[in-house]
Amino acid sequence: MADEYPSLFRSEQMSLVQLFVPTEVAHDAVAELGELGNVQFKDLNPNVNPFQRSFVGEIRRIDEMARRVRFFAEQIEKEKDVIPIRPLYDSAPLITVGPRAAHTIDELDTTLSERERRLVSMNTSYDDLSKRAKELIEARYVLRETAQFFEKAQGHQTDIRTSFDDSSAPLLQHDDRESAYAPASGGFDLEFVAGTIERSRVPTFERVLWRVLRGNLYMNHTDITEPFMDSSTGQETWKNVFIIFAHGDALLAKIRKVAVSMGAELYPIDPNADKRAESLKEVTERLEDLETVLYNTGLSRREELIRIGESLRSWQDVVKKEKMIYETLNLFNYDVRRKTLIAEGWAPTRDITTIQLALRHATEESGTSVPPILHELRTHKTPPTFHRTNKFTEGFQTIMDSYGIAAYEEVNPGLFAVITFPFLFAVMFGDIGHGTIILVAAIYMILAERRLAKAGLGEIMGQFFYGRYIILLMGAFSIYTGLIYNDIFSKTLHLFHSGWTFPETNGTVVGELGEHRYPFGLDPAWHGSDNGLVFSNSYKMKMSIVLGVIHMTFALCLQLPNHIRFKRPVDIYANFIPQMIFLQSIFGYLVICILYKWSIDWSKSSTAPPSLLNMLIAMFLEPGSVKPGTQLYRGQGFVQAVLLGLAGICVPWLLITKPYLIWRDMKRVHSQGYVGLGHGDDALEGEEEGNGRAIAEAAHEGEEQHDFGEVVIHQVIHTIEFCLGCISHTASYLRLWALSLAHAQLSEVLWNMTLAFVLGPDTFSSIFGWIGLLLMGAFWFAATVFILCIMEGLSAFLHALRLHWVEANSKHFEGGGYAFTPLSFAGIDSKE
Amino acid sequence: MASIFPVILMLLVTAGLMTASAIFVPKGPNQVTIRTALLLTFAACYLMWMITYMAQLHPIISPIKAGKHA
Repeated sequence: MADEYPSLFRSEQMSLVQLFVPTEVAHDAVAELGELGNVQFKDLNPNVNPFQRSFVGEIRRIDEMARRVRFFAEQIEKEKDVIPIRPLYDSAPLITVGPRAAHTIDELDTTLSERERRLVSMNTSYDDLSKRAKELIEARYVLRETAQFFEKAQGHQTDIRTSFDDSSAPLLQHDDRESAYAPASGGFDLEFVAGTIERSRVPTFERVLWRVLRGNLYMNHTDITEPFMDSSTGQETWKNVFIIFAHGDALLAKIRKVAVSMGAELYPIDPNADKRAESLKEVTERLEDLETVLYNTGLSRREELIRIGESLRSWQDVVKKEKMIYETLNLFNYDVRRKTLIAEGWAPTRDITTIQLALRHATEESGTSVPPILHELRTHKTPPTFHRTNKFTEGFQTIMDSYGIAAYEEVNPGLFAVITFPFLFAVMFGDIGHGTIILVAAIYMILAERRLAKAGLGEIMGQFFYGRYIILLMGAFSIYTGLIYNDIFSKTLHLFHSGWTFPETNGTVVGELGEHRYPFGLDPAWHGSDNGLVFSNSYKMKMSIVLGVIHMTFALCLQLPNHIRFKRPVDIYANFIPQMIFLQSIFGYLVICILYKWSIDWSKSSTAPPSLLNMLIAMFLEPGSVKPGTQLYRGQGFVQAVLLGLAGICVPWLLITKPYLIWRDMKRVHSQGYVGLGHGDDALEGEEEGNGRAIAEAAHEGEEQHDFGEVVIHQVIHTIEFCLGCISHTASYLRLWALSLAHAQLSEVLWNMTLAFVLGPDTFSSIFGWIGLLLMGAFWFAATVFILCIMEGLSAFLHALRLHWVEANSKHFEGGGYAFTPLSFAGIDSKE
Repeated sequence: MASIFPVILMLLVTAGLMTASAIFVPKGPNQVTIRTALLLTFAACYLMWMITYMAQLHPIISPIKAGKHA
């Protein structure tokens, strides 16, 4: 098996391998196998709680490190100015295997915790300083605004109390020493409360105060023009400065309580203007100092983050790999003396030598002398399905796998889809121009493969990039079908002489056929003719049926390798042959009739060309007889009766043969005295719970005793599905016609509605002509790319895929396999 | 040249190309893929050409063009 090359025809042969890994080399061995990406490990401890597994401690440590790395990534992300992160392929690698591995991990752990501690402390001090700065700013505003209030109120006072001086300052200097008993401040009889409150709360605040104090207050407030940033949420809040004048201690206390409950902040303001000016100066100074400190803290924090950004990717990579390694190690089993780990897993038989080499390499790297031992096991369990793809076939295999993973060693429909899928797409998309556009797009993506793969495209562009080889073939085949349909941006090419000539007359003219036929593709004479659609519809519909029947026949034949490989010759006689006869006797006959009718020169024949649709219907409704005048060939009635009879036999053949053969085998087994398990013996089952009897293996093995009723039902469903499916699937292929018609019509409408208006006999002579052509041309091209290529392309893609999934796969595909998911480090680089 | 002869000729050409690709694709990890792809491509392209050619061999209707002065 080793000298044969892998093929996509079936899934690879897999073996169940058992590894005996000494504990010292376990970590490095798993790392090597992860880099190789060839082994899928089984969980040998399915009943063990995740918290009781052997390597739980290491995983916890790695999780801590992962949390720290995530914290760094978040912090870097939150910075407004982008911090450069050194990409992985540019970073120095951290060696995590070998004798110094444990040391490296320990170092990494300490580095990460150190950095985190520093970053967190910088963050907290920054937050504290910001809060204090905010308070100081508010205090400054309050001081400024209240100054205005006092001046205003002072103005009023001079009106009322004319014995007042202009400047209250000299009075104050003496007054506040003596006015301990007079809580009235600055010559006013009123006392006040000043502070800031959120703008949205102001009306509520006023109302509450009015009600509580029964109107015995005077309140004034102004907006603060600049908003305050809340550092933790990043929200902007708008605040107002307020000052409330009231009389009496009780009222003031009430005001203070209400203000605090509404979330206002109160600031002590001195009524003395000089003192206020002093406070303002002090506040401004402290604010300046604080802002300097804040700025410096911000700078050093940024430096720290930049340094972290240098190594962040390599840390993320190491942490992810280590986590995967330890999680895999947890799947292993310790042997009796806890010196060796036992692992079980699936690996492709072809790769076993590579795996052994890798294990030996791991032993050398780690410096121990005991290599791990690999041992192949024999098993009846179903292995995972593994199709070895390269970057070209990967896309096609993925879209076919989306329908279902093929059963182990079943014929792989993905192999044939490499060509049939783009071909059926092209039948629906046929246009030389549009095909060229998508071909060029695909070529660009392929040439820029390396760069685009690293760049990390978004989700949508990533999907297109993943399918670049599919798009390449789609484009190439579309150019070919475009040549056949003779359609380039809704115009035709006259590559050869047309078969029709049009005589020179005024009025409607009918083409005359000569001896020559247009050798490749659709004759350009049909383009622009009144009945062009009549001809092309008939042609495309018949082509869809012919291609469809051939595709279905091909898919049906793919059953044969499956039956041969899985040693089921009964299925060939009981399933494949009746299905093939049924399909061919009705629809194969239709295809032959289509081709035959095309090959007859009806102008020289005695009868008119019969309608094939009516012929097919009459074949079923009036078997054996053909209406005179609608005969296609001699002896038609007899042939059709025979074919109908054959199809009729196939239905009971398909329905009965297999269940009968199984029933016969069952009778033979029963007659020899064997009793099936699970029948009767109910009394014993309750008592013995498996202690005294050999219990049969897991349900999917040893199924000699399936319920006969189930087999019959399965076969009935299968028969009905196939026979009805034949008819409905054949008609379903008419979508090839429908979409190609829609595409051609859309293309024509777009041309007629845009460029046809600006192209005339004098477009190129005047400057307006050129400008109009340029603008309209740009619009036409944009609509072509977005509507005709992308939208129609996606539509044709979907329908071609449906044809593969439903019409083709239902003829042979069994499915039910599970995909091979090896431990691989390759995928984690692309995940963020 | 309104005969069925080109159909048969191209059939033989296609069969020849398919046989050549079945035999001469070099051994390697992609032999099966390349071989299948070439066989299917030749077959599909021939089929499509053949259908188009045969549909126009003995057409039942003729193209009608509205005249310039219609």
